[in-house]
Amino acid sequence: MIGTSLCRWAISYFAVAIAWLLLAEVLIVAGFGFPNHDIGGPDTLVIVHLISIGWLSTVLCGALFQFVPVLAARSLYAERWTLPALALLTLGLTVLLAGFLGLGGHISGPPWLLPVGAGLLIAGFTLVVANLGMTLWSARPLPGPARFVAGGLACICVTAAFGGMFSLVLSGTGVGAQWPDLLVSGVPIHAIAGLGGWLTFTAMGVSYRLLAMFMLAPDGDVRLGRLAWLAGIIALAIGLVGGVLALWRMTGLNLALLLAAAAALLSLAAYGRDVLGLYRTRKRRALELNTRMSFVALASLVAAAILGAAFVATGSFPSHVGALVFLVAFGWLTGLVLANLYKIVPFLTWLETYGPVMGRVPTPRVQDLVAERRALKWFVLFFAGSWAATLMLLIEAPLGFRVAVAVVMVATLGLSEEFIRARRLADVAEPLRLPTGAAAPHLLISRN
Amino acid sequence: MTEFIDVDVRPILRAGGEPFSIIMAALERLVPGEGLRLYAPFKPVPLFDVMARRGFAHREAELEGGEWEIRFMPNDGSVEAAEPTSAALSDGDWPEPVLHLDNRDLDPPEPMVRILAALERLAPGQTLCALLSREPVFLFRELTKRGHHWRGGFTSQKDAYQLTVRVRE
Repeated sequence: MIGTSLCRWAISYFAVAIAWLLLAEVLIVAGFGFPNHDIGGPDTLVIVHLISIGWLSTVLCGALFQFVPVLAARSLYAERWTLPALALLTLGLTVLLAGFLGLGGHISGPPWLLPVGAGLLIAGFTLVVANLGMTLWSARPLPGPARFVAGGLACICVTAAFGGMFSLVLSGTGVGAQWPDLLVSGVPIHAIAGLGGWLTFTAMGVSYRLLAMFMLAPDGDVRLGRLAWLAGIIALAIGLVGGVLALWRMTGLNLALLLAAAAALLSLAAYGRDVLGLYRTRKRRALELNTRMSFVALASLVAAAILGAAFVATGSFPSHVGALVFLVAFGWLTGLVLANLYKIVPFLTWLETYGPVMGRVPTPRVQDLVAERRALKWFVLFFAGSWAATLMLLIEAPLGFRVAVAVVMVATLGLSEEFIRARRLADVAEPLRLPTGAAAPHLLISRN
Repeated sequence: MTEFIDVDVRPILRAGGEPFSIIMAALERLVPGEGLRLYAPFKPVPLFDVMARRGFAHREAELEGGEWEIRFMPNDGSVEAAEPTSAALSDGDWPEPVLHLDNRDLDPPEPMVRILAALERLAPGQTLCALLSREPVFLFRELTKRGHHWRGGFTSQKDAYQLTVRVRE
């Protein structure tokens, strides 16, 4: 191990991602897409892809470029691929969204926008997967958390492949016309692979290491996370392979999804047990805000799992799928990401600014870069807004949903300001702020 | 020939207990000239410093399964100086560490800060040894930039990372 350096563009990924999140929130508050419009309609697809690709995938890629080298104890395979990947993802999403807007009749665009956007996105994700995949490949046998990431990388390939095929079908091209039924039965697979495999499974893996690190909990046991990983992989394999087989045979999709859901619940239960175990064996008694907020996000995941199982049992799953997806995307994934950004951004800024002079002159602690009390109110607003919005979807109150998302948006803006303040070292007391030899960091790029 | 009192802290550590007070209590009971033989599930590096200050030199031997037998002897000239320690063997040409840090229970990134600060106080060529709760991946980058050399690895119990840094000459 020759040591991990700062990924130059990780902060840029975070900034682009937050911009996409804010745009999505503005559109929801303005009443664009579900629940005012059809859940499968083009307007909803704009929102869904803004959040899943623009926000969650971009922020996750940035975090993985920084932390996969830490998980795998290897340098990133090709740092120089990270900026082109960001450019491809951003451009691809922009073109894809234009395609959806054209599909919804908001703009008059050529039909090739969707496949071209999808192609650019696939190219971007290919660069990401190849870069992270090669890094992991060189670190075999993989430690536990890195295996989750490997599973997640496989799932983004499945998600992107289905997305690419959908774009051909939706654009009305001759190639797409060969698979008329693909959209109906393929969407669950696309969504499970994306939301469940790529985003949730990867986040679970990374959180094992981050939670252990931030709570000072021992995570050396090789059995830690094994059951959660195994059950999760089985769930994804049944869901994806079974789903594709069902598509091909035109039958049995529901059975595959039900079996996958059972394995997924087992995986989540094992994950919950592991996280509680880390919590109990932690050496740090008073937890920092980022860790406490990660647990709140985790509570959303637990709630989503329980609600989902209850809806399946009562047969009301299809009418509540929108609320569930919102709870997973905001309460769990967005909450977890924002909570961890609240640690990652100050930490990377601290390392970049004070690393070169550490030990030679007095330097601030990482915690001196943040003001937890101020940020706590934004997190409270964020989670309260996310849960209220989920509730409004469940009781079918579209206006209440928009008001709740407005609260989430205010919280997002507040937290964005906290991240900017951390980058600008705005909360560091003056004599320590910029000691001799230290240079102020750039807002959007890290020196490495 | 030194007489030894045996203290086995392996069961205490396995049960999650704190062995330090027991070692110190055993030390109080030693008669002049007596030594202490310690059995531990890992190399108790931080203890070496404490014992040296109390006038004990040590000899270490790795047992099967990554466990260690350490003999602490009163430093009254009775210690045979010729016998090389295994630490010296494993660290080859590097001098014995002048400083031992136990950073296992510190909040990250405090371990890194303390190691970098301690290195500033050492003379060129001197070494320090630190125990950490995990591999300090972000520290390596600073050590490289500053031209220091380091050797490190997980203890055989996999519960700590032992790092030795040699200051740039």
